[in-house]
Amino acid sequence: MTQLAQNLLLGLLLGGVYALAAGGLTLIFGVMRVINIAQGAFLIFAAFITYSVWQVLGIDPLLAIVITTPVIFSIGWVTYKGIVAPIRTAPIASTVLLTFGLALVLEAVMGMVWGNNSTAIRPGYGNESFTFAGLYLPKAQVYGGLVAILVLVTLGLMLTKTWLGRAIRAAAANPAGAELVGIKVAAVAALVFALGIAAAGAGGAIVGVLYPFVPGAHYQWIARLLAIVVLGGMGSLNGAILGALMFGVAETLTAAYIAPSWATAVPYAIVFLVLLIRPQGLLGSRLREDAVAA
Amino acid sequence: MMNASTSRWKILAVMSSLALGVAACGGDPEASSDEPIRIGTSLPLTGEFSQPGKAAQEGYQVWQEMVNEDGGLLGRDVELVVKDDASNQNTIVSDYNALISQDEVDLLLGTFSSLLNLPASAVAERNQMLFVEPAGGSPEMFSRDFKHLFFSQQATADKQGKVFAEWVAGLPEDERPKTAAYPTIDDPFAAPSVKGIQEILEGAGVETVYEETYAIDTKNFDTIVNGMKAKSPELVVHGAVFEDGVGVVRAMRKANFRPDWLYQTTAPSLGKQYADAIGAENTEGIMFAISHAPQAATPGNEEFVAKYEEMFGGLPPEDAADAFAAGEVLQAAVEGVGSIDDQTALADWLRDNSVQTILGELQWNDDGSPIGDFLVGQWQGGGVEFILPEELATADEIVDGWRPGEGQ
Repeated sequence: MTQLAQNLLLGLLLGGVYALAAGGLTLIFGVMRVINIAQGAFLIFAAFITYSVWQVLGIDPLLAIVITTPVIFSIGWVTYKGIVAPIRTAPIASTVLLTFGLALVLEAVMGMVWGNNSTAIRPGYGNESFTFAGLYLPKAQVYGGLVAILVLVTLGLMLTKTWLGRAIRAAAANPAGAELVGIKVAAVAALVFALGIAAAGAGGAIVGVLYPFVPGAHYQWIARLLAIVVLGGMGSLNGAILGALMFGVAETLTAAYIAPSWATAVPYAIVFLVLLIRPQGLLGSRLREDAVAA
Repeated sequence: MMNASTSRWKILAVMSSLALGVAACGGDPEASSDEPIRIGTSLPLTGEFSQPGKAAQEGYQVWQEMVNEDGGLLGRDVELVVKDDASNQNTIVSDYNALISQDEVDLLLGTFSSLLNLPASAVAERNQMLFVEPAGGSPEMFSRDFKHLFFSQQATADKQGKVFAEWVAGLPEDERPKTAAYPTIDDPFAAPSVKGIQEILEGAGVETVYEETYAIDTKNFDTIVNGMKAKSPELVVHGAVFEDGVGVVRAMRKANFRPDWLYQTTAPSLGKQYADAIGAENTEGIMFAISHAPQAATPGNEEFVAKYEEMFGGLPPEDAADAFAAGEVLQAAVEGVGSIDDQTALADWLRDNSVQTILGELQWNDDGSPIGDFLVGQWQGGGVEFILPEELATADEIVDGWRPGEGQ
């Protein structure tokens, strides 16, 4: 029983990190219908920036989020204006190709700036855990989970309680209608893209503390993040959080009770099964055109 | 208007030049002795294996530099043609095909890891080109009846941990671990290496309490470590590459799980990178098999270490030394045969001869697998010492097990 509780806790903590990384991806898709394949690359890019801030300024890597997130936000905004905006309304395949190319460019830039060596961020608490009732909670995961909750709650409140959030949701639900009531959808899209990248920025800082990384690590992350977003329902922030927690717990329980060799495969099988029953994902909305197609 | 006689002379001159050019192209390549010998390789300079891939590139570069300073190969300069396979099995096949058919390199050198050398060596074999690989000791490599493949380390993966396992098996009963865990990455080098150790230790009565293989893209090791911790093994033999080796040690520290002994494949041999990633204080006592010792008194080793330091700074990582040794093996075959025209003759020469390298003397079975033993290294006082076999040991004693938190 203790082992089950331990594994569940580890799974939920892992899911928290996944949630933060996937939140930005679903936000960008929800508003812009852009599948940002470069999200994983931005995640690793943020991990490298966090590493440099930690090394040069000696700031705790999780506290460094207050520096790295605005930097990543700015990079996201510039990327949108310079690269993504011209094809925002192009067919989805074009944006997939474009952002895949962007991921490759980012990988090359990371390789040139930081090298292709494996990099690790090790704060003092990196090897420590909280213990209670025979269970242990790694401090880095707990702090990372708390940061993830803080960022996601802030993002959620911003989306539901502010005028900006309403504008974003209006732009996502009905771009033409939003334009009619005075919302500048193009400006909202730039902001959302930058916010989505910034969320990956915060996630990258946590990922960098938890796992060693190389520039090419983004391929593994984007595969997981896409699966999580599809599982939760594309465009749904709550769905991404739920999907991420399920994914983390499924990975952990599979490794513990089936075999570690299946740990990266079983969560994808769950995604497959969920989509068979709910093609729109756990919390995704079924659109009129989906019903017609069915 | 052009004079008819002048025109005839011009045509004759052009024809003569063409004839000379064609003769030069069709003749013995060594006749054009000013042309460098081009040697092609594709390495994982990016992606999951970029760490060892970059080290291998450095080793090849040091070899190229030293060969050229020494008058070249058969009197010709050596020119490396290096591609980046991005740690991808598909890319490496197209890279080696391109090296042979588009770049038209004269010779090939292998890449890093069994995973990538498996398909790469098949391309070389199909083109009947010698393929000396600096890494790629999976037994699977040598079960395909290839005639041009040679592994330039001391032993294949299944025998990599033999010296360590026999040392553990030979410990007095009260000092010998009674239980062991064997987690390993699903890698064609690491998995057979762990299996080889497990077979010897089980034969010596060490009970296996945990045995699991995890996928190559596993990032989170907390559950695996939690599973091991529940079984309380006294020895952990971990089949690792690099990031997973780091991940498991960090997860062990978080879970406060400290087996008496910790042995890992590959990762601990990556020197400073490894110490930085897990924390130098956590390295004390970790054991591993290694092919190269910077302090070893093997032929040319001192010069290699000095040249590496001059070119890249610091001590050479194991993968750089292995790549350098692959270059030495290729060089020995070319100089032994005296030509690069017949690559099957180069392979036959290697089967019939041994080669002195910075890793020691290397010789091969008919299938290209090497005949020899690895060294065993141990992290002591924040650095790597070589503890076995005793005649090559650089340390007076073996640290009594893994002592995390006590390193420097």
